[in-house]
Amino acid sequence: MKVLLRSLLVPALALAVAAAGPAFASKDVVFAVASTFTTTDPYDANDTLSQAMAKSFYEGLYGFDKDMKMIPVLAEGYEVSKDGLVYTIKLKKGIKFQDGTDFKADAVKVNLDRVTNPDNHLKRYGLYNNNIAKVEVVDDYTARITLKTPFSPFIAQLAHPSTVMISPTALKQWGNKDIAFHPVGTGPFKFVEWKQPDYLKVAKFDGYWKKGYPKVDTITWKPVVDNNSRAALMQTGEAHFTYPVSYELADVLKAKPDLELVAAPSIVLRYLSMNTQKKPFDNPKVRQAIAYAINKEALAKVAFAGYATPAQGVAPQGVEYAVKIGEWPYDLAKAKQLMKEAGYPDGFETELWSAYNHSTAAKVTQFIQQQLQQIGIKTKITLLEAGQRVEKVESWQDPATAPVRLYYVGWSTSTGEADWALRPLLDGESWPPKLFNTAYYKNEKFDADIKNAQLATDSKKKAELYKDAQETAYKDAPWAPLVVEKLLSAHSKKLTGVYVIPDASFNFTEIDLK
Amino acid sequence: MLQYLLKRLLGLIPTLALVGLLVFMFVHLLPGDPARLAAGPDATPQTVELVRQDLGLDKSLPEQFVRFASGVVRGDFGRSLRTKRPVATEIAERFAPTFWLTVWSMAWSVAIGMTIGVFSAVWRNRWPDRVGMALAVSGISFPAFALGMLLMQIFSVQLGWLPTVGADTWRHYILPSLTLGAAVAAIMARFTRSSFVDILHEDYVRTARAKGLPESRVIVKHGLRNALIPVVTMMGLQFGFLLGGSIVVEVVFNWPGMGRLLVDAVDMRDYPVIQGLVLLFSLEFVLINLAVDVLYAVINPTIRYR
Repeated sequence: MKVLLRSLLVPALALAVAAAGPAFASKDVVFAVASTFTTTDPYDANDTLSQAMAKSFYEGLYGFDKDMKMIPVLAEGYEVSKDGLVYTIKLKKGIKFQDGTDFKADAVKVNLDRVTNPDNHLKRYGLYNNNIAKVEVVDDYTARITLKTPFSPFIAQLAHPSTVMISPTALKQWGNKDIAFHPVGTGPFKFVEWKQPDYLKVAKFDGYWKKGYPKVDTITWKPVVDNNSRAALMQTGEAHFTYPVSYELADVLKAKPDLELVAAPSIVLRYLSMNTQKKPFDNPKVRQAIAYAINKEALAKVAFAGYATPAQGVAPQGVEYAVKIGEWPYDLAKAKQLMKEAGYPDGFETELWSAYNHSTAAKVTQFIQQQLQQIGIKTKITLLEAGQRVEKVESWQDPATAPVRLYYVGWSTSTGEADWALRPLLDGESWPPKLFNTAYYKNEKFDADIKNAQLATDSKKKAELYKDAQETAYKDAPWAPLVVEKLLSAHSKKLTGVYVIPDASFNFTEIDLK
Repeated sequence: MLQYLLKRLLGLIPTLALVGLLVFMFVHLLPGDPARLAAGPDATPQTVELVRQDLGLDKSLPEQFVRFASGVVRGDFGRSLRTKRPVATEIAERFAPTFWLTVWSMAWSVAIGMTIGVFSAVWRNRWPDRVGMALAVSGISFPAFALGMLLMQIFSVQLGWLPTVGADTWRHYILPSLTLGAAVAAIMARFTRSSFVDILHEDYVRTARAKGLPESRVIVKHGLRNALIPVVTMMGLQFGFLLGGSIVVEVVFNWPGMGRLLVDAVDMRDYPVIQGLVLLFSLEFVLINLAVDVLYAVINPTIRYR
């Protein structure tokens, strides 16, 4: 009898273990990213990567899907008053924070009050333009936000990855600074640990409000600075997803049968700004000549290995209300003609600066230098590193003495809409050091269009105003718009549901591992 | 000897104070406003001001220095401008990986380098010498970056024997220490060889041979000890440099060490971290020089310190 039992026991155990096997296999995903995170607090981060990582444990009232379309997340819907000042937001019910607190309207008030309070010194203070007058809790699931002046892109600000709902209980417990070391949100994963600078680990939150999600157990975010090392991690299978992939390695990874290379569309626009307040760039013919002289298709091939498309306007496709005006054609003869008409048949000498000092920027500036030489413009290239960039361009106090002339730089708007894609770069009020109008461009019609669009509540009217603004700026040519980059990422074929979205952040709500 | 040691250790304090002052001035001379860098290009001037106040950068330079100095005396090196964590924590977390990587790299590179150097010296101008010096030259000339990437491609990606990045297990130490050690081994080899070649001409070596001692005894017992003094000096210097964290190796292998911390800090003008690290490196160099001096006395008993 004993022998019989024993001989049955082993196979029975084996069967039990085998049956339990698949259920216990943990789905652990590793993301290899390019730099360390600055903080887990999206209200205090201005780098896209930290904000993307924070989506593991935080969500906002609104958000973006994988195609960068705005969708409600924690909000049910909103209503705006006729004068455009009062937004009433209805919240979804039955959502809990990772510490068990219920998500109610008080969370909206606590979070918005925190970032708009200058005493908290949060880096995202300026995102709301000092425009929120007050936030009120109407009832448990309704919040009312009153603005000082109407601002139609307001909901886009609520969709920005910085605007998340942090648990009020956690904020009270940890305070303004330490909340960054103990994040508590409503997101699909809860924070486990951050071993600086090695990795940041998050694990599945069982009480997540979307049933059945998330579909994986843990995500480990690993910052690996060197491009080749990141690619090596993908090849050995130590990481399942990586962004960005450098162009030189794209073909290596594409050739691997168990990896997939993805070139996603982006709203990252690269352009050459020209200081319109200084001779000879105050002459529109000179600026147009420069725009005609650069072959954008060739630029995409040379500097971006083909992973870029020529720019079609001053705001890239994918940004709400962006219009496709058309690629500025490459016409060397016309460029020479315009230079002659402007009074510079033999060209002139000037400075060409780049906002970045990586190898792609080096290639771009050398290419532009060569192209401009064909119409007689001799340029001296300087690649600025971050500190120099801030000192010589961004923080330069007096526009009259600003040294910047030709400047290679890029921009992408994380609110996905036209106001933030155009205003900081081209509005007359946005000259450095206030914002980023490095062309020192000022056009009354453009400024008026932007201002009226902010006040407009009718979306057709907004579209018209933004169209006019973009066409005005395009014709004046304070820039030579260059290319719109494609975002190159790679993932293991076993991994699904992870996307790089057009503003270079990530969307991984549908993440799953086979 | 003890008195000598104490005198040297006391001399540390004015040295470090001077270094502290110099690095503070230098770091604040770098172009670029850390508040603007931290706040980002998106930020409005108001936000930049808020960040500036938060980081304590709105105070005058002398005031900032007083804050820094009084903090250091109490052991508080301030907080990183980037991560808001105490500088001491940031550095402490990175110190152990860098230290152990340095130790392992030095260990094998000294062992191999000195061996090659001795063989080259003893059989000088014959084939062991030529092979040894060829290896040494390639070790110095092959860029560490390329060597690291090459080793990673072969051993991690193609063969899968060793892990790629990080510092978690003993296996993670192999490729980075090989990469770091290659240049050091090469330098050790050349130094040992030239020092040894000098020694082998000396009278006492001739005497030892004349006494009938086996050649190996002559070389190891009589020759090596005397040849060590310049070699030990070089070792000390190399150890000091490596302890600063070799940025190239740290980037390729994603090593969580002090080299990357320093480069990131300089990039973002993270003053407190830069100051803390430079003070630490100065302290390390002073201590290493002291250790080397003590080693001289151990190797050569005729050297006496007062």
